[in-house]
Parts: sequence; structure tokens; C-alpha cells
Amino acid sequence: MSVAELKERHIAATATVNSLRERLKQRQQLLVDTDMAAYGRSQGRSAISFGSTDLVCCRTLQGHTGKVYSLDWTPERNRIVSASQDGRLIVWNALTSQKTHAIKLQCPWVVTCAFAPNGQSVACGGLNSACSIFNLNSQVDRDGNIPVSQILTGHKGYVYSCQYVPDQETRLITSSGDQTCILWDVTTGQRISVFGGEFPSGHTADVLSVSINSSNSNMFVSGSCDTTARLWDTRIASRAVRTYHGHQGDVNTVKFFPDGQRFGTGSNDSTCRLYDMRTGHQLQVYSQQHDGDDNDIPTVTSIAFSISGRLLFAGYSSGACYVWDTLLAEVVLNLGELQNSHEGCISCLDLSSDGSALCTGSWDKKLKIWAFGGQRRVI
Amino acid sequence: MQANGVNAAPATDRGAPAPSDAKGKHRISAELKRLEQEARFLEEEISELEKIEKVSASLHELLLQVESRRDPLLPETTGSTSTSWDRWFEGPQDMPGCRCWVFWF
Repeated sequence: MSVAELKERHIAATATVNSLRERLKQRQQLLVDTDMAAYGRSQGRSAISFGSTDLVCCRTLQGHTGKVYSLDWTPERNRIVSASQDGRLIVWNALTSQKTHAIKLQCPWVVTCAFAPNGQSVACGGLNSACSIFNLNSQVDRDGNIPVSQILTGHKGYVYSCQYVPDQETRLITSSGDQTCILWDVTTGQRISVFGGEFPSGHTADVLSVSINSSNSNMFVSGSCDTTARLWDTRIASRAVRTYHGHQGDVNTVKFFPDGQRFGTGSNDSTCRLYDMRTGHQLQVYSQQHDGDDNDIPTVTSIAFSISGRLLFAGYSSGACYVWDTLLAEVVLNLGELQNSHEGCISCLDLSSDGSALCTGSWDKKLKIWAFGGQRRVI
Repeated sequence: MQANGVNAAPATDRGAPAPSDAKGKHRISAELKRLEQEARFLEEEISELEKIEKVSASLHELLLQVESRRDPLLPETTGSTSTSWDRWFEGPQDMPGCRCWVFWF
């Protein structure tokens, strides 16, 4: 076949794919007969009501000398690792506010960090396109630094996000500016699988975030600058299981819902969305009018669900931290307006494993712990 | 092609394609294969939609599930609470205005 004939077939195939995508989108739309909030209201539900002193900042973790970019809790509840523009990882005991480890990184441009399931190691990644692993029990070198125990190299772009596979100390997933996600064997440093890239149905732009399903650790979702989220099965790297459309901007953050059947996303388009993993349906859009002019629409940088899923915490570039009632799509609190709140963009946030505390990290160089300090009513 | 005994086009026109042509053809061919595979995946997804229920079908189960789980951050929650939820309010807490630092660096 000549080049000219191939080019003609390429044009025709592109038109076919575009037409099929449109048809898929339209068929999916026909199935969206309601959303979560409309259904919740129809069932007579009303939004959660917080008293002014219910959710309070009960700890401020100070020590970073640059913007905080990322944080992760340990499964055993009280420790946090954070990564900062100052080129350091700090491990905190969130209960006592004490720093237990401070790791000066060889590559200071770190943007993501994660705790291993056993709490003995931490991982970080960034603009060196690699993911570094540190064993917290290692003997420090003569400069007082913890030496790196493994470097995972192979990505051809920045590493934006990393997460250990729950209950598997030796498996980690990263996402990258090279449009792929990789599943790694941390012990050997080898790539086990590459998701996307040369295969169809992979992301077509930088992949900014991943979230592994804690109910089924073979499944994870990724969020990308191509405005989509994609679901992957770690056993089938050759294609994404499903692609979720809806956002109008980069998908900066993805997080599984506690039941493992749904997941949330947050985007540059200033909205969060809730998707059904299995059906692909968009169940709800969480969108709020923001103060300020239209040219300064805040982006959603990070999200997390409370342990029941009733609350969605969303951090914004404006410094707002909205607490959404997920069932009714109403903002019930803005942590950014409470006493002792952050003084800059909220870059990261996550819940402790027992759901009793939220940690937020900010460009104001601090981390804060929020918990419920009011009178609890038990039904 | 020969006509009336005259030789055909000069040798250069009948030689092997230039390396850049072969590379271009290979690239287009690979992209075409990817597009065709993408089209098959999309067709599969469209046919699977026939078996998928509407959004409303799953929301009732979601609502009940969320409301049945205990949650330390809610003012009102089901089931029993745990004293460990309140550990954040035991012992020294955040004191507004306190700027005590431990200088590590």
C-alpha cells in the first residue's frame, strides 16, 4: 500500500474513532436520568450541619521551609510523610507534632511522596523522572542523612504521583508526564507493567494522579491533563478498562470512594466529580461559585472522602478547603475560613486510616490536622 | 514500463524508497493499527452499554451504604463511637500564636 493510500485510511480511521466516541458519549448520556443530589433530595435528605466549632484545627506541623506539595498517612494512624519545595521529606508523628525523620533529597524537586503499608519505608518522586525509596530504619550516613535504598528509573517524564499497593510492601504505582503509569517491584527496581504509552486507550497527556482501590488492589484509577480519568487492571496493561469523560480541564487528583465502587476526581475546571467505576456514569458534579473575578477560577488540587463517604474534602488553589456533603452536593463548611486555617493554596490533603483526622498541606509551608471537637450524636 | 522498446523511467525512480519514506510509511501504518484497535474497543464499549442500568438504579444502594457507616467527622453518626477518635484533643494541642520551632536544619 502506498503512503498516500495509508494516509487516506488514516484519515478515515480517525473520523471513525471520533464518530464512535461521540456515539458512546451520547448513549452514556441517555442513561443519566438523575444525579446524586437530586436523588438525595427526592428521598428527603438534608445536608450535614456543622456547628462553628465542630471541625477544628488541632495541630499545626511546622518545619518545612518551602511549599508543601504532598503528604501521606501511614496505615497505623498517626504518622505522616510530607514532601516540600525545600527538597526534603519529613516524617511526623501527627499526635505529638514531632518530626521523627528529615530526609534531604539529592534531587530537591520533589512533588509526591508515599508511605509503605508497613510504615517502614517512604517513596518520593519528582522532576528527576524517578522514584526514590528510603528505609526509615537505615543507618544514617556521615552527613546525618538516610541513604536512598532504591531508585526506580524508567519513566521518560516527571513523576507526579506515587502510591504503594495496599498490603504489598514491594509494589508501587507511579504516574508520569510521559503519559504512562508504571507498576514497580520495589525490591528489584524493575518495571512490572506499563499502563498507556504506545498502547491505545492510554492517556494522551501527563498523568497527574493515581488512586489504588483498597477493596480490590488490582484496580486503580489515574487522572490526566487530557481531562479524563481512566480505570486500569494491573493484570491487563494493554488497555484501560474504562475512560471517564466530563471534566473540562486537567484532572489533578483522583481518589477512590470508601466502598471501592466509585471514585472522585478534582480538576482545573474547578469542579469535583463522582463516577461509578463499573458503569462509567458520572453520578455528581460538585461545583461552587467562587469569590473573585472570572479570570481567577481556582483549581481543585486535592480531594479525599471521609470514611463513610458522606463528606468530600476538596483543596483549592485559592486556599479554600470546601467540605462537600457528597449526597446533596452542598458545601457545608470551608476549612479555609476557620480559625487557624492555612494562608495559601491547599496543595494536598488526606484522611487518617481510621477517618478521625484530616491532614492538609499548603504552600504556606505548613501541615494542619483537623478533627471533630464538637458534641457527637449517635443514632 | 517499457513502450515501443524505449526504456522506462531512470533508475533512480525505480530504486528502493528513501529511508525517510519507509520510516514515514511504518509510522503511519502503526498509527493506523492503533486507531483501528481503538475503534474496536469503542464498539465493544458501546455494545456493553446495552447491559448497563441507568444512574438512578445504583443511587439508592449508595445512599443507604453511606448512611450506615460510622464516621468520626460527622456530628451525627450510626453505631458505636471509639474513644481513639478523640485522641487529637488529649494532651498538648495547637496553641494559636505559639511559634516554638525545633530547628533541624
